[in-house]
Amino acid sequence: MVPLENYLVLSAIVFALGVYGVLARRNAVLVLMAIELMLNAVSLNFIAFAAYLDPGKITGAIFAVFIITVAAAEVGLALAIVIRLFRNRATSNVDEAAILKW
Amino acid sequence: MGAEQAWLLAAIPAGFFLLLSFFGRPMPRGGDYFGVISIGTSFVLFFFVLADFLDTPGKVGPIVNSIEWSNIGDFHLRMGIYIDPITITMFGVVTTVALMVNIFSIGYMKGEPRYYWFFAVLQMFAASMLMLVMADNLLLVYISWELVGVCSFLLIGFYWEKRSATEAAKKAFITTRVGDVGLLIGIILLFKATGTFNIQEIIHAAEAGEIGQAYLFIAVMAIFLGCMGKSAQVPFHVWLPDAMEGPTPVSALIHAATMVVAGVYLTARLLPVFAVADGALLVVTIVGLTTALLTGFMALAQTDIKKVLAYSTVGQLGFMFVALGAGNPSVAMFHLATHAFFKALLFLGSGSVIHATHHNQEMDKLGGLWKKMPITGTTFFVGSLALAGVIPFAGFWSKDEIFVALNEAWGGWAVLLLGLAAVMTAFYTTRLFIRTFMGKPKDEHVYEHTHESGFVMTGPLIFLGILAAVSGFVVFHGVGKAIGFPGGITEFIFLEHHGPHRYEMDWGFAAGSIGMATVGIWAAAWMYWGNSTRRSTVLAEWSPGLYDMLQKKFYFDELYQAAIDRGVLGFSYVVAWFDRYVVNDTGVDGSAQATGFAGGVLKYLQTGRVPNYAMAIALGVAGLAVAGLVVRG
Amino acid sequence: MATEVLWWIFAAAIVAFSAGTVFSRSVLHSAIFLIGSLAGVGAMYLFLTVEFLALVQFLIYGGAVTVLILLALMLTRSDARGTPDAVNGPQLPFALLVSGGLMAVLIGVAAGTDWRPGGVPDSPTNIGIETISERLFADFGAPFVIASALLLVALVGAIILARQEEGE
Repeated sequence: MVPLENYLVLSAIVFALGVYGVLARRNAVLVLMAIELMLNAVSLNFIAFAAYLDPGKITGAIFAVFIITVAAAEVGLALAIVIRLFRNRATSNVDEAAILKW
Repeated sequence: MGAEQAWLLAAIPAGFFLLLSFFGRPMPRGGDYFGVISIGTSFVLFFFVLADFLDTPGKVGPIVNSIEWSNIGDFHLRMGIYIDPITITMFGVVTTVALMVNIFSIGYMKGEPRYYWFFAVLQMFAASMLMLVMADNLLLVYISWELVGVCSFLLIGFYWEKRSATEAAKKAFITTRVGDVGLLIGIILLFKATGTFNIQEIIHAAEAGEIGQAYLFIAVMAIFLGCMGKSAQVPFHVWLPDAMEGPTPVSALIHAATMVVAGVYLTARLLPVFAVADGALLVVTIVGLTTALLTGFMALAQTDIKKVLAYSTVGQLGFMFVALGAGNPSVAMFHLATHAFFKALLFLGSGSVIHATHHNQEMDKLGGLWKKMPITGTTFFVGSLALAGVIPFAGFWSKDEIFVALNEAWGGWAVLLLGLAAVMTAFYTTRLFIRTFMGKPKDEHVYEHTHESGFVMTGPLIFLGILAAVSGFVVFHGVGKAIGFPGGITEFIFLEHHGPHRYEMDWGFAAGSIGMATVGIWAAAWMYWGNSTRRSTVLAEWSPGLYDMLQKKFYFDELYQAAIDRGVLGFSYVVAWFDRYVVNDTGVDGSAQATGFAGGVLKYLQTGRVPNYAMAIALGVAGLAVAGLVVRG
Repeated sequence: MATEVLWWIFAAAIVAFSAGTVFSRSVLHSAIFLIGSLAGVGAMYLFLTVEFLALVQFLIYGGAVTVLILLALMLTRSDARGTPDAVNGPQLPFALLVSGGLMAVLIGVAAGTDWRPGGVPDSPTNIGIETISERLFADFGAPFVIASALLLVALVGAIILARQEEGE
């Protein structure tokens, strides 16, 4: 049988990869994809805990439902912003949108 | 109505205060009749309270009625009323004088601006004063104390268009405030030592020796400081003569008959505590003596009718404190009552004169008014005799008793000093009367237009005149018995462990009193009778410096002004310098400059590139995770 | 035994797809790898016996979100010349350091923590759809409604943001 720790370690690896993507990549859409990876890792964590430790209340699973909902909203808005950015500045690179500074 | 419901005496005028201050302006005649109704009701209720009190078994047992006001942990604050002979006496004085002043004001204040407001504040004053004298705890005393102070402030500054009136109001408020701080400190000290605000419990604790001597002395002196401020004792006396800027009925009610005796009342109420603290009574006596003497001298050279009466009031308050210092509350309360009647009479009489002569209150322009104003003149004459201490008018009996008590307590030196003050009282009273009502008119124009006031003003004068003539007789056992009291006033008011004491006339002292009054009156008559300027200016010619010193009131005002100029203003310069260079330049501007500089440097951290911000967040999260691991070990 | 073997295969696939997503030089390839990774996580939900959430994962992530991302990629592809500087150069070492460190800390914590005194069960308990619906609609009713409002607001906001305005 698969122990809880396996899920946790898997989730940690995926989350760290997501962090790397957010920090290292320039393309805004790819940054969003990395964020999706992180969110998925978190959901997996929640559900694993719910299934192993909290089968009666399954609060973790409920949280996962809300994470999916919020992630959907976030991705919709963020992509709209990316499209807007691209239309105005002809780029989708996050480090080129840098006019908001001194 | 039982005496337990005596709080109604204060509640009714308070209600009328609200009514008049909110709805008085549009009422016909400013609602002045409500003023009379309100105080009149209290006056009538006073007799019910008195009757019930005298019917109480044991005759003079105090009546207590209190409710729980708030509850803080183990501390229960109860507010209530405490009715004993002292309270009853104060009730009688306050309601009587307030009613007379209300009636008189209808005539005197006619046509003045803010007519309704005047009556509203009079109601508020009556309510606060009545609450003050029946409060059973020091907290309620303090609240009422400040309320009467506010009413006094409002009424002194009633003609606030006049600069001198607003200055006088401020002066009164600030001067009494200095004493009030002492009162508050004293109340807190007593509370700290006994854990209660209740006056009777404090007295019991003090008498049982639960409070250390030095501590008790300081607490009592702090409270006495408040009493000195309110009762205008030297060196706080400077505010009372200036308070004459207020309308004359106010001077009669607040600054002669009732509010200024609040200090006397509170000292009398706490006298058992004063008696326990070694030396406290001596301080009270010395303050009273000093005040009586100094203000006696000051009154000699005043030319304003009301100023003379004001100094005379301060002096008579000094007499009362002397009586308290002799450990004798009954005599102090006796003199308080008689003084309230004849001084209110004198002030209202002077008000009648001022009203009739179109606001002329300088003696130099008056004279010979008795013919023009027979009722005012006669009643004023009675009041003057009472003030001068002529037998058998009210002032004689109470003043005589003070001498007896003083002799018992402190001996001859004090009697001699107070006797000098009594001679001066007789002197300036006679001077005042002769120069205003006798002789030839000094200003024909003013004299021509003078006429007797209407009945609404002379009525109260007559009533108070009768009281000034006969109220002294309550000292006799038979008189007291006849009107329902257990006996004379000294058998009604007394300290618990002294017990009642029946008055017996001491002919030696009576002769002395008569002698002092005669000397004063004769001297004044010799100087001022018949418009003889040669004699009346004898002092000014003999020693101009001394005369100037008297007229300038021993330079108290100048001294205070100098102290304020040097001390307070000097200190303010330091504070202003501190504010400008330390608080403003360094603190305010300095922090702004530091912020601006830091912003100028740190702005380069803001790259505007999203990945950098994301990196910062990630580093923060990683840092927190590591810190969490380290903490958990 | 067979389950465990399958689990390890899927886990390896998820890690591989995720790594492909963030390391691939082509954004399009990244998107396809992402689909694989998301599907793998959905399979993990099946291993955890939460069939409803697995279904949701396939439908919303595998379907809607990836389609949205692909669409966005199409709309923002101005140049087909590839992305020679797809990686944010100066920050790369820090990114590796932080993500590596974070992974180490997380794995350490996950393996080293006693998650429940008295031991964790060997296998997950089955979470039925009834339980989920009861919790979601009875206990979390208000958040559920608020989440729907959030979705609506996000929808309207996205439309307003992405709309072609007059004069553009």
